[in-house]
Amino acid sequence: MKRQVPLALCFLFGVAMIYTQFSPHQYSEAVYNEVIKWGLIISPFALVLAVVTLIQTHTSRIRFRSEHWQYSFIVFIGMIVMVAVGLFFVPNWLLNLLPENVSTALADVQIGPQNPVFVWLYDNVQVPMDATMFSLLAFFIASAAFRAFRARAFEATLLLITAMFVMLGNIPVGDLVWNKVISWLPLPESWVLLEDGTSRMEDGASWLRQEILDVPNTAARRGIILGVSLGVISQSIRIILGIERSYLGGGD
Amino acid sequence: MLERFMNMDRRIIFLLIALVVIIPTLIPVRLRITVSEPTQKLYDYIEALPSGSNIMLAFDYGPSSLAEPEPMAKAVMQHCFSKGINVIGMTLFPSTVTLADKLMKKIADENNAVYGEDYVFLGYRPGTLPVILGMGTNIANVFDKDYQDTPLSDIPLMANVKNYDQISLLLDLASSSTTETWIIYANTKYDLKIAAGVTAVIIAQMYPYLQTGQLVGMMPGYLGAAEYEKLLNAPGDGTVGLNTASFAHLLIIGLVILGNIAFFIQRRKEA
Repeated sequence: MKRQVPLALCFLFGVAMIYTQFSPHQYSEAVYNEVIKWGLIISPFALVLAVVTLIQTHTSRIRFRSEHWQYSFIVFIGMIVMVAVGLFFVPNWLLNLLPENVSTALADVQIGPQNPVFVWLYDNVQVPMDATMFSLLAFFIASAAFRAFRARAFEATLLLITAMFVMLGNIPVGDLVWNKVISWLPLPESWVLLEDGTSRMEDGASWLRQEILDVPNTAARRGIILGVSLGVISQSIRIILGIERSYLGGGD
Repeated sequence: MLERFMNMDRRIIFLLIALVVIIPTLIPVRLRITVSEPTQKLYDYIEALPSGSNIMLAFDYGPSSLAEPEPMAKAVMQHCFSKGINVIGMTLFPSTVTLADKLMKKIADENNAVYGEDYVFLGYRPGTLPVILGMGTNIANVFDKDYQDTPLSDIPLMANVKNYDQISLLLDLASSSTTETWIIYANTKYDLKIAAGVTAVIIAQMYPYLQTGQLVGMMPGYLGAAEYEKLLNAPGDGTVGLNTASFAHLLIIGLVILGNIAFFIQRRKEA
């Protein structure tokens, strides 16, 4: 029963939602709109589940003294402080019920996600920490590129050359460097100059970047998208028909 | 000598990166920017919209990647306000609500835009798919109130906006795959016009959608923001950021070339 009910629901809703995509009938539209509303109601429970899982994970880390377990306390402190500041939200309808002097005072404080303490913590703790973590990537990428990006084989050379041109075309300096290098090269004028006297190779870095992105990149991406889409369709059919049951958890 | 160079202490590389980021930031350099086709298309699309049209901005990035999408948001909002186009903001990311709210207020203040008349920020609702699909039927079903807790029915801008039919364009400012989700669900199901302003790492993913027309335009990373600023003739954070990034890019290219030259010399010696 624990498995049959979810499987039956999955089949029912799967078939119904496929049907609504192809039928413009008013009943089909009504079912579609109703299911979307249910989805909006159910979605917040995923956040509850995420919080519960986070608490369970870090509680067990502290209990079993896993590696770096001390940091789990920081997770709890951060979560409790932000929730405490953010949860004390007084909606307008409640403010209207309170005595005027109390409601005015509370409204002025802007309790909730717009609370000055919440905003201050967000601006001065979360944003700089997140931005710092991401900024560190530049240092590691530079170091890793110097050490590992070597033309050891044909494929690696191809990747290296392509990456160089895309990087060069991504920046305004790229065209300046390109134009300077081209001017140094002993290329025949008939190759370089157009009929109107302008250079056909001017700003070649951005042109080449665009060509690489437009042609080989798009072709490869399209192949990946088609492959993934076919995989998603087949997997969805397997789930709707109850062949694929791993989402239920546990073994068969 | 060669051995020492190839095993260079990575702290030297870190120092060089820090210098090429800090120096151009302190001493701004104006470099010539060539506008790419995807950015030009987005600009042209917005430029062609009549005054009073509505554009939806989805702030789908986290604080970690705000450096790239924020200049894009500034440039596009500036363009919209100058043309009398209304801006409706929302986000699919819970961690971006405060960021987006502050950003919209700041840009609106700079452009004398009035909240509720020229722009509105709806905030965040959990669940990506139900939110995207739900707004296609009725935005008020998903966001019954804006971020300031005002019912949508009390906001003048939203009086004539029921669903995507009244939205001329959705611009997704993204640092992940949300643009593809908007295309798959909002464009395919509701024929909502979509454009993207994405961080540099996901530019390549967007090109098939540009070619099919599912994306009307795109701002690719810092470059896109700087290009849009050039089209507006208003250099801003995007231009500064791109100039800074330029020198970091050049350093990495230089390091890779030098690393490979050293690698080949060493291999020849060993052979």
